[in-house]
Amino acid sequence: MNPERLARIRDLCRDEVAFEQLQQLLSEEKQPLEQEICHALFQVEQQKTLFSVITRLREFLDLETIFRATAAEVRQLLAADRVGMFRFYPNSGWNDGEFVSEAVDPEFPSAIAHKIHDHCFGDQFAIHYQEGRVQNVADIHNAGLSDCHIEILSRFQVQANLVVPLLQGRHLWGLLCIHQCRTPRQWQETEIEFVQQIAGHLGVALQHAELMAELRAEVAERQQAEQRAQELNQGLRQAIVELKAVNRELEAFSYSVSHDLRAPLRSIDGFSQALLEDCLDQLDTTGQDYLRRIRSASQRMGQLIDDLLTLSRVTRSDMRREAVDLSQLASRICTQLQHAQPDRQVEFVIQTGLVTQGDVRLLQVVLENLLNNAWKFTSRQMQGKIEFGAIQANAAAPENGIPIYFVRDDGVGFDMAYVDKLFKPFQRLHRMHEFPGNGIGLATVQRVVHRHGGRVWAEGTSEQGATFYFTLAEESVGA
Amino acid sequence: MSGESNQRVILLVEDNPDDEALAIRALKRHHIGNQIVVAHDGVEAIDYLFGTGMYAGRDVSLKPTVVLLDLKLPRIDGFEVLRRIRENEATRLLPVVVLTTSNEEQDLLNSYSLGCNSYIRKPVDFLQFSEAIRQLGMYWLLMNEPPPL
Repeated sequence: MNPERLARIRDLCRDEVAFEQLQQLLSEEKQPLEQEICHALFQVEQQKTLFSVITRLREFLDLETIFRATAAEVRQLLAADRVGMFRFYPNSGWNDGEFVSEAVDPEFPSAIAHKIHDHCFGDQFAIHYQEGRVQNVADIHNAGLSDCHIEILSRFQVQANLVVPLLQGRHLWGLLCIHQCRTPRQWQETEIEFVQQIAGHLGVALQHAELMAELRAEVAERQQAEQRAQELNQGLRQAIVELKAVNRELEAFSYSVSHDLRAPLRSIDGFSQALLEDCLDQLDTTGQDYLRRIRSASQRMGQLIDDLLTLSRVTRSDMRREAVDLSQLASRICTQLQHAQPDRQVEFVIQTGLVTQGDVRLLQVVLENLLNNAWKFTSRQMQGKIEFGAIQANAAAPENGIPIYFVRDDGVGFDMAYVDKLFKPFQRLHRMHEFPGNGIGLATVQRVVHRHGGRVWAEGTSEQGATFYFTLAEESVGA
Repeated sequence: MSGESNQRVILLVEDNPDDEALAIRALKRHHIGNQIVVAHDGVEAIDYLFGTGMYAGRDVSLKPTVVLLDLKLPRIDGFEVLRRIRENEATRLLPVVVLTTSNEEQDLLNSYSLGCNSYIRKPVDFLQFSEAIRQLGMYWLLMNEPPPL
């Protein structure tokens, strides 16, 4: 108490004896007060340290930085000789580990990176630490510790020891160790609580670190997946480029077939005809017959080339999808057929209002081929019948089904044994003189149908007609 | 029409000698007694029309009644010949019939875009070809009124 105040108290007392007693009383009061102040100051420092530990946690710094700074601060606050973070090796059964971070008085050896093996720790202590056990040893030589334990502590000149668990969630990750090396030390309750609090916060940092590691692994995995996707994409782009080049080549090839292959045929046909006209008197009937055969063969080859070109054009031309009235297309084709051979008696049955999405030019090719075939193969009938219509793929659930279109005739039909050959180019099931044709038509039909995502198939019986079915969209599986 | 033009000329631009012989044969068979000038590639055709190269000094005011133009030609192709004909003030109205083997959509489009008057695909069958030539001759030489060039 300052002298001025004491003088005032003396004045108020006006009695030396009373003053003496009062002074005695006051100084007795003062001592615990001073102790409490000291304690409060320590607590303030503790809070400051805790605060800086928590602040670092929120900055998401790496574990090493957090450990190093925390060790230094704790060591300073507790005036300890060594503060270290000990980590158990994963899968060592808590028997092996090493110090991964520390703050140590330069007078004492560093404990970092020395492999430490304690064969009894895993069995006897790990489970207790996992539940929050604290080891509080004021003097290692008077605490009943096992010899091997004392031996390990002596290696780092430890005299007093305060150990709290570092838990990552519920997993015992390691230990926070406070060592006193100069002298034994009685650890205060507040100090123990403080160290426990610090260990708790470090546990949060460990969990953060684990989450971050998982996150990084996930990000890396995603990056890898992205990389793979990019590589695939790159490959796909390359394939498209190559495909386009092949297509261009094919186009150039078709173009040159169209131009160049036909020119010699014109010469063969033209000069054969010229021979027939100019040198008729020098040729006997056999010679004339040979020339006619040459002409008819070259004309057939011209037709073949044209059909092949149509087939290839069907494959490479661009698809334009729009609404197509198949019924209207079919009627128009049938009218043309009848017009070309007005004497033939054929009944056409065409279902109306069959509208689909597709390429009108390509679908025209499909119907032309199928109806031309039907017309051709009913030519022996006195009275033929040709039908065009659609049925539902799934009668039970029509909303799931797609229409199956069909062209049916009651003509010569075919033997189902040969059905596989029908759609292959240049395959014919009838002799040329019976029914002329190149065997390109149905191959063309199949290509167009495939380009629309559909399929085509046929049913027939010899001498009892044929039905060709086709779809123009993918059928839903299991519908 | 100038007095000299009673001598009507067909310019046949054709590199294939067989096709040339067959075309000339067909024209003669149908007594299309015009003079037929044959250019064997695009350069010759242009030289004839514009009086250059091997036709330097030709009186270019004498224009063919119709040009029968193949598309696939050595040196300068048919499209380019057609483009130059249409580009030039003196020849831009000249009737040009493309007479070719191809019926590729792209060739048809290009030919009409460049301003051909007609597009005929040469049939393989000589009788059909001959008939096509006859009709061409009849139409362009006898029926069609040529532009006042």
